[in-house]
Amino acid sequence: MVTKEKTEKPDGVPPLENTILDNLGNRVREIIALNGNELHVHLVSKDAIPEACDFVSHVLKAKLATIICADERKLCGSFTLRYVFEKIGEDDLFIVLTAKVGDTEDDAKEELGTSFPSLAFQIPSAALYERDIKDMFGLFPAGNPDTRQLVLHEQWPLGIYPLRKDFVRDTKVARTDGKYPFTKVDGEGVFEIPVGPVHAGIIEPGHFRFSIQGEYIINLETRLFYTHKGTEKLAESMKLDQVLLLSERIAGDEAVANSTAYCQAIERIAKVKIPTRAIQTRTICAEMERVYNHLGTLGGMATDVGYGFGAARLNILKERMMQLNEKVTGSRLLFGVNRIGGVGVELKEDKLLLVARATSEMLQDFERVISALRSTGSVMDRLQGTGIITREVATDLGLVGIAARCDGVDVDTRRDHPYAAYGSLRPDVRYNTPLKRTENEVMLQKRRGDALSRFDLRATEIRDSIGIMNELMANLDGNGELTVAIDGRLRPYQHALGYAESHRGQTIHWVMIGEDCDSLFRYKVRTASFVNWPAIEQAVLKDIVADFPLVNKSLDLSYSGNDL
Amino acid sequence: MSSDNVARNNLLNADRSKSNKKFGDILGYKIETIREPHINTTASPAARGSVSLVRSDSQSLDSFDKIRQICAPNAIGMTSSHVSLDMGKCILCGRCRDAAPDLFELKSNFALPVKERADLVEQRNFEITSPDVEKIASHKAISSELRDKISKTLGRSLEVREVDAGSCNGCEVEINAMNNPIYDLEQYGIHFVSSPRHADVLLVTGPVSRNMEIALKRTYEATPDPKIVVAVGACGCSGGIFGDTYATVGGVAKVIPVDVYVPGCPPRPEAILYGLLLAVNKIDKTSIASKSISATLND
Repeated sequence: MVTKEKTEKPDGVPPLENTILDNLGNRVREIIALNGNELHVHLVSKDAIPEACDFVSHVLKAKLATIICADERKLCGSFTLRYVFEKIGEDDLFIVLTAKVGDTEDDAKEELGTSFPSLAFQIPSAALYERDIKDMFGLFPAGNPDTRQLVLHEQWPLGIYPLRKDFVRDTKVARTDGKYPFTKVDGEGVFEIPVGPVHAGIIEPGHFRFSIQGEYIINLETRLFYTHKGTEKLAESMKLDQVLLLSERIAGDEAVANSTAYCQAIERIAKVKIPTRAIQTRTICAEMERVYNHLGTLGGMATDVGYGFGAARLNILKERMMQLNEKVTGSRLLFGVNRIGGVGVELKEDKLLLVARATSEMLQDFERVISALRSTGSVMDRLQGTGIITREVATDLGLVGIAARCDGVDVDTRRDHPYAAYGSLRPDVRYNTPLKRTENEVMLQKRRGDALSRFDLRATEIRDSIGIMNELMANLDGNGELTVAIDGRLRPYQHALGYAESHRGQTIHWVMIGEDCDSLFRYKVRTASFVNWPAIEQAVLKDIVADFPLVNKSLDLSYSGNDL
Repeated sequence: MSSDNVARNNLLNADRSKSNKKFGDILGYKIETIREPHINTTASPAARGSVSLVRSDSQSLDSFDKIRQICAPNAIGMTSSHVSLDMGKCILCGRCRDAAPDLFELKSNFALPVKERADLVEQRNFEITSPDVEKIASHKAISSELRDKISKTLGRSLEVREVDAGSCNGCEVEINAMNNPIYDLEQYGIHFVSSPRHADVLLVTGPVSRNMEIALKRTYEATPDPKIVVAVGACGCSGGIFGDTYATVGGVAKVIPVDVYVPGCPPRPEAILYGLLLAVNKIDKTSIASKSISATLND
């Protein structure tokens, strides 16, 4: 075990510990509470993984947030798997099941290399993480029905695993001849349409394989990771402050959310409380990010339904917000907002006035554009009933963000695990009375999971975000410090989760500090896009090929954030 | 709420009520397209547009060496007598300026796109003290020159195919912004096309990931001659913060020949426009030695 530290247990955890001990009994080696809201349950062996995960997921009703693998052979002689589950709703708690895989005795026993039991059939969302681990660490998920290469494409030779510690970052690996078998759909009149990786529009690369009958999509297979840049490996060779810059570039339009998640993870390890002013600034910028991106997505949806007028107007509003971003932070994409231990921008009185004026003007124009869009028959016709994601699919795949909230699955990291300034305000500040809250609840249940509901929810979130910004700006601590020092507060191999809600949904980062305390031993990033991408394969079924761009845009998925 | 906050709140509210605009502003006729743009039309003075070396007597190689360690993409270089700053790698984080304001200057003007990769590297000898002539791009000049060139060389149109070779999507956001009614790229006769077979120019972003290397080569091969390649962003120019690893190649030029480099992380829409101007110049100059092509195009 790496971390010896114990922290004060949050209220309500001891009974949970007992429940876990009662049910998993001799499979648990020890239970450690860490960083305020992480409960680390160390399992005696990897064979206990399926039962323990089954229990946490189906009995304790916690949702699989990510699976983290780390090559800790140098530290404890084995790889370590951490299954992170999050409690949704009342308790702000992460349950982390930890198991060692690939000790030396293990390796000797197994013929096909080191393996670990797959959860693909119990928890479908685990399947992709397992394929990722297989590619990057060379651990084999026994029982996973899909063991094709995921991150490293077919031309990557078997037996070389980039995230193992003995792999040198800059190694140039020769290409091999490999084939990637796509799922074949047979039948009379079934055709295949391959699309990508270079797409027709100005978007990121990815490959889509449609099987169609007539105009209808009967199967879609997505193939991603074309933009895999080795981000996690790269982070291991950088200083902490440099990783912050890297985290902003995980997905360029999610800079604040990803850097917030990263900074919070480091701050949690250092056990520092960052100044109120920094917390508020961080939150305001996070909401500015949400606003400009939602505007862009709505504009993109208007383009994809062929309503150029609305698209042009929404793009004007997005441009205005990006110019505001630059005036306030120096970067149109809000790069450079966060610093470890605080923020790097100072919101002075004049900037607050600028934000208040620009957002209120924008909102007035926005309402007009939205009502124009909503009263245009051809737009509504394209949006309604297109790209439906059912609640069942959303639950199975563990969707996050807008994609989940439109299917009646109420998850929002800002509320489930309050961070930054969200502890003191609800993400939907506009619903500040019980009646309005009930109305909101009814709206949530009424949403059908189609493109229209995602369109409406994005519009609603823009209004909410501006509400949050206004509330924060009214109470901004104008004179406090901007950063707090974390020097000397980190110890080797301490680790913590950091999380934030981007405009796409929950982004969750896990960091383990390196030996010299100014680098990372392991940086695991899971953005909302990684979770939500598989949903598109379900959403387009029963739709026609021409609706695909619209469905894709309505889900607003990042390729780079997925591929890392 | 403190009295400070009350006062500010009143101010914010008063400000909001002032801004009751007319309906026509957004749904009607007053479209704020940049028709006669100049450099500061959209750039704010607070913008981080470029970094340059400051000429100061207090410079010492020792202090410079410390700053060098801070830079994430290794944009700062040093020899015994020279220091250098590579805008092709710089991601505009401003860490060097924060650490040594006497050595580095952060400016709001964007760094100018260039045709030769070496031109992005600012070299400075410690002894020389005469100031450089400031190079400031006049957007107005760029746009009128651009319009002329395009109409002369390509019969009023420049067809551009954008290829993302592993970018973080930041450059794509800015390239998309060029299409919005404010930058209104099509007013210059520039148009994004869906296929490389229709393109005159490839606009390539990203450090070129291993998984996109072949796709990029094929896209280049599918583009008819004469073709121009514009590498966009720090990643496209040099690999940027992602550098050269097992998963990346480290810049577009390592895979296909690049004609124009547009620095920035991400570059502003104006900077990409400037890069396209350079691209057209290139077409004009080389004209691929065949007057017949340009004659046909001018008809």
